[in-house]
Amino acid sequence: MKGWKHVIAITSLVVSTSVLALATAIGGLGYILPTPGVRDLAYWYLVTVLSPSNKLFTAMSPEAVTSIVWDYRGLDTLFETSVFFLAIIGSIALMRGIKIVPERLRNYSSGMSPIVKTVTRITAGMIIAVAASIALHGHLTPGGGFQGGATAAVAPLLLMVVFSIYFIIKSGITEERMLALRTAGLVGIVFTAFSACIIAASLGTQAYVFQNQPKSTAAVGLPASIMGSLTSGTLIFFNLFEFFAVAAGFTIVFLLLSIPENIVKQALRGVESEH
Amino acid sequence: MSTELDVFLFGIMTYAIIMNLGVSLYGVFRRPSITKKIIALTIFSDSANVLAIIVGYRGWPNPWHSPIPPILLNRHPTPQYISEFAKVAVDPLPQALVLTAVVIGLAVTVFLVFLALQLYRLYGTVDVRKVRRLRG
Repeated sequence: MKGWKHVIAITSLVVSTSVLALATAIGGLGYILPTPGVRDLAYWYLVTVLSPSNKLFTAMSPEAVTSIVWDYRGLDTLFETSVFFLAIIGSIALMRGIKIVPERLRNYSSGMSPIVKTVTRITAGMIIAVAASIALHGHLTPGGGFQGGATAAVAPLLLMVVFSIYFIIKSGITEERMLALRTAGLVGIVFTAFSACIIAASLGTQAYVFQNQPKSTAAVGLPASIMGSLTSGTLIFFNLFEFFAVAAGFTIVFLLLSIPENIVKQALRGVESEH
Repeated sequence: MSTELDVFLFGIMTYAIIMNLGVSLYGVFRRPSITKKIIALTIFSDSANVLAIIVGYRGWPNPWHSPIPPILLNRHPTPQYISEFAKVAVDPLPQALVLTAVVIGLAVTVFLVFLALQLYRLYGTVDVRKVRRLRG
C-alpha cells in the first residue's frame, strides 16, 4: 500500500510537470517566449508612469515597479502588508511568555574580539545609511520600502551575532519597542492611503482611497514634486512607512530567534508543570 | 544566432524551471522532515518567481538583444521619449508581483521556522511520522 502511494505521487508530479511544459511550449502563456512586445496592460503602465502631459492617468514616478506596487495596484500591496503583519504576529504568539529576564543582563558575556566589534560598529551604520537610501529613493531608482527594510534589519542581526543579544536589549532595541515602531509604520501607511480623502474632505470635495495624483472625478492629490525635487505624491510616504514596518518586523523575528535555548526550555517546562 | 535557436534555448530554460517546481513539490509532499519541507517550499516559491520574471521578459528588437529595465532615466520626458521607452522596456507587472511575493515568502518561511523550532523543543523531533503518533 505504501509503495503504491509513492508511485502515485511521483506519477502525478511527472504528469503535471509534462502538461505544464507542453502548455508553455505551444503558447499557453498567450505567446511563445521570448516575445518581442509586452501585453497591452504593461504597455499602458509604461506609457503612463511618468507622463506630465497625461495628467489624469500618470503616477508621476520614473520607476514603474514602485508605481505599480503603491499606486496602480496599491490595495494588493496593502493586503500583502497585512499578511506580513499576521505572519510576524503569529511568530510572536508562538514565543509568548518567553523573555530574557532583566537580572541576566548584568553579567552577559562580552561577545567577539575588539577588532570585529569596531568593524561592526562602522558597518552597521553604513548598512542603515544604504537601507535608508534604498527606501527613500524607491520612487526614483530600483528599490523601495520592502528592500530598504530588509536591508536595515541586517544591522541589528549583525550586532546580535557580534555583541550578543544582551547588548542589543540593553541598548534599547527590545521586542516591545520594535512592535511599537512597526505599528506606527502601519498606521502611517493607512494614513497615507486616506491622505487624498482627508485633503478632499477639508476642501469640501471627494476623493478615492489610495489616490495619488488628481483624477478627472476627484481633482485633489498629493504634490508630485516638493521644492523642485520629485517625490511622486504618496509613493515616498508609503516607502518610508513600509521601511519602518518591515525593518522593525524582521528585527522582532531576529530577537525572538536569538533567545538562548536554555531560557526557552525553562519557560516551556514551566508551562508544562502548570498543567 | 537564429531566432529558432533562441526560442529553443528559452524553452529549455522554462522546462527546467517547471521541472524544478515538480521536484520541489515532491519534496514538500514526500519528505518526512519538516526542515526539508520548508527548504523545498522556498525552492518552490523561488522557482515560481523566476517563471513570473521570464514571462515578463521581452526580446526586443530581437531575442538576443537585452531590453531595458522599466525605469525612465529622464525626469522631464517628452511624449516621444515615453513612446520610445515603452517600445524597449520589459513588463513591470511581474516584477512588482514578485517583489511582494518575496517579502511574503520570507515572512511565511520565518513563521514556519518558528513552528518547526517549537515542535522540536516540545517533542524532540521534526519527523512528521513521529509527530503524528504523539498523543496529548
